[in-house]
Amino acid sequence: MTSASQAAATAEVTEIDAGARGPVSLLIASGLVWLVVSSALALLQLLQAHSPALLADCPIFTYGRTAAMKETAFLYGWAANAGFAVALWLLARLGGAPLRSTNWSTVGALFWNFAVLAGVVAIAVGEGNSITFLQAPRAIQPLLLVAAAAIAAPAILAWIGRRQQATFAAQWYAVAALFLFPWLFSAAQMMLLWAPVRGVLQAISAGWFVQGVWTLWLAPTALAAAYYLVPKITGRVLPAYDFAPYGFWTLIVIGGWTGGRHLIGGPVPAWIPSIAIVSATLLLFHYIIVALNLRGAFGVKSTALRFVAAGLLAYLVGGLVDAVFAFRALAAITQFTWFTQAQLQLALYGAFSLTLFGAIYFLGTRIAGRAWPSSPLLRAHFAASVLGTVVLVAGLAVAGLTQGNALADASATFEQIAADTRVWLEVAAAGQALLLLGNIVFAYHFIRLALAAVTSPVAPDAVSFRRPPAMEASAS
Amino acid sequence: MSDQTPHDPRFDNAGATDESLLSAHERELGKKPADNGHYKMLPLVLLFVFSGLIFFAGTYLNEFSGHFDPSVFDEHGKPAQPGAATAAVDPLVLGKRNYDQTCATCHQINGQGVAGIYPPLDGAEWVTGSPERLVHILVYGLKGPVMVKGTEYNAAAMPAFGRVAGSGYNWTDERIAATLTYIRQAWSNQAGPITAEEVAAIRTKEGDRKEMTQEELLQLP
Repeated sequence: MTSASQAAATAEVTEIDAGARGPVSLLIASGLVWLVVSSALALLQLLQAHSPALLADCPIFTYGRTAAMKETAFLYGWAANAGFAVALWLLARLGGAPLRSTNWSTVGALFWNFAVLAGVVAIAVGEGNSITFLQAPRAIQPLLLVAAAAIAAPAILAWIGRRQQATFAAQWYAVAALFLFPWLFSAAQMMLLWAPVRGVLQAISAGWFVQGVWTLWLAPTALAAAYYLVPKITGRVLPAYDFAPYGFWTLIVIGGWTGGRHLIGGPVPAWIPSIAIVSATLLLFHYIIVALNLRGAFGVKSTALRFVAAGLLAYLVGGLVDAVFAFRALAAITQFTWFTQAQLQLALYGAFSLTLFGAIYFLGTRIAGRAWPSSPLLRAHFAASVLGTVVLVAGLAVAGLTQGNALADASATFEQIAADTRVWLEVAAAGQALLLLGNIVFAYHFIRLALAAVTSPVAPDAVSFRRPPAMEASAS
Repeated sequence: MSDQTPHDPRFDNAGATDESLLSAHERELGKKPADNGHYKMLPLVLLFVFSGLIFFAGTYLNEFSGHFDPSVFDEHGKPAQPGAATAAVDPLVLGKRNYDQTCATCHQINGQGVAGIYPPLDGAEWVTGSPERLVHILVYGLKGPVMVKGTEYNAAAMPAFGRVAGSGYNWTDERIAATLTYIRQAWSNQAGPITAEEVAAIRTKEGDRKEMTQEELLQLP
């Protein structure tokens, strides 16, 4: 290795990455373990949905507990860990200085994952709650909140102490996610677990929380990654970037109001679903701006951007579907069927996870100081993830439409409806099996990358990192 | 300026440094409108799109929010006006519902009763005749033999429906009036309505008492 190539490598792989290595790789590694666990549970849940006898005599894996464990492992295990990791790395990078007080993140990550583990085990032995995304027992939830604050502290310090006064959209979204999560999470805990509100207010708060987890926490996290990776890799200024602030504020201000769409057709005052329907439509403005800004993600020869492009497509399609199927005439068919699961999985797997995979592929090479070990594994993961998401979401959506239409028909028997949806649930299970496969491949690949970085600290192929040029002003 | 090395999928080279990425985008945000007199299309289009969405949102909320009233659960509904709810009840609708749910058990939907057991209401002189007698029968019940349309029914056991002691039904005066109004014009009957005030007056005057008998009824006007 020549000293010149060494210098080029250090220009792109900096001490910022080295400083973030500990907490970020701990968060990603634990996130990937939870991802594999949750996709295995998701597969089991989908199989049980059409073959109820499967493991029915094993109390730990009865349908209700499998579903609750899957959601907890996915959201607090995978999504939260990966989201924190990407936010930490992004804010350090764009802050222009190594992370300070990284011990807070490391200790926080250990406590966070301990709390998630305790929550999943408690659900398994029957101590869970019945509230979506708050299934872990009440006693564990404050620990999660404190651990999240500890993990996020260095990211906030990086934001406050940034070298350049200028801020970029990726920072807005990352900081918003970091601040909105504790707000959402503590308010929901208070209203649903510690001092439960009564009657119909409970359903309204639960709907607000479920929607908020997506719109105000996970979606901004994924957008932060996408807004950074697209200009960073293409080297071009984002088109129509002067509208990015409007896109950001539309999501933050209006996003939280879409919670009532989970209550369409439910026993709540009519204005709550109406506000949600209108908000879902208004959010189209946000999706238009995101599409305008990030259209450069498509058709680029880059591993990270292929994932981001797939995630972006899922995000845009998901937004359109959410807006269209919020209308009461369509919701009357799809509400309370598998179709809502299809919408959720399109958001969680399609939009969030695919984008975060892209971010991890990009930052993984930086924090490890080397390339990923194997390109066949990369391709296998991409194919399994994209194909798996499409098949899973399509299967669930068709199952939901079949189910919803049949439920509206008074002459259809329950048995007949179950038989009609069965084949589509089998399709969805096949998609979920592909996702499980892809996730195992990814976790294995990450372990190989980490092991390589630990055993030989100086990368043999560090030469391949090119010193990036400066970004030129836009041509327009 | 990109070099000739083939694309390696195992890592992505950065296209720009972080510092230049930040400053290039910051310049975009601070950009002044073009000063050469040309309009840019995109801001106008987005403004129209956003205005259209806001217009739609306002229209939709005006139509389907029930004026944000917490008691309106149907998106087509409007908040109830004070007093409008009681005025809107049609005595014939209420009366028919009461009759079909309760009275028809014995007197049958067609008002013919059951021969020898339950007397008919269709064409019965008790129904179309004196309102006072009819109100007494429903409010206090009727016990003992009774002659209806020339047939003797030996053991009438009509229970008390009014809001009086010993009644298992406790119907309000409005329900009593609506039910009687209904049966007085149903089938071939063509007698006039009975108001809740008439029922209330009779109930106040009579007070609590046991079931009426045919003799007592015949002494009433």
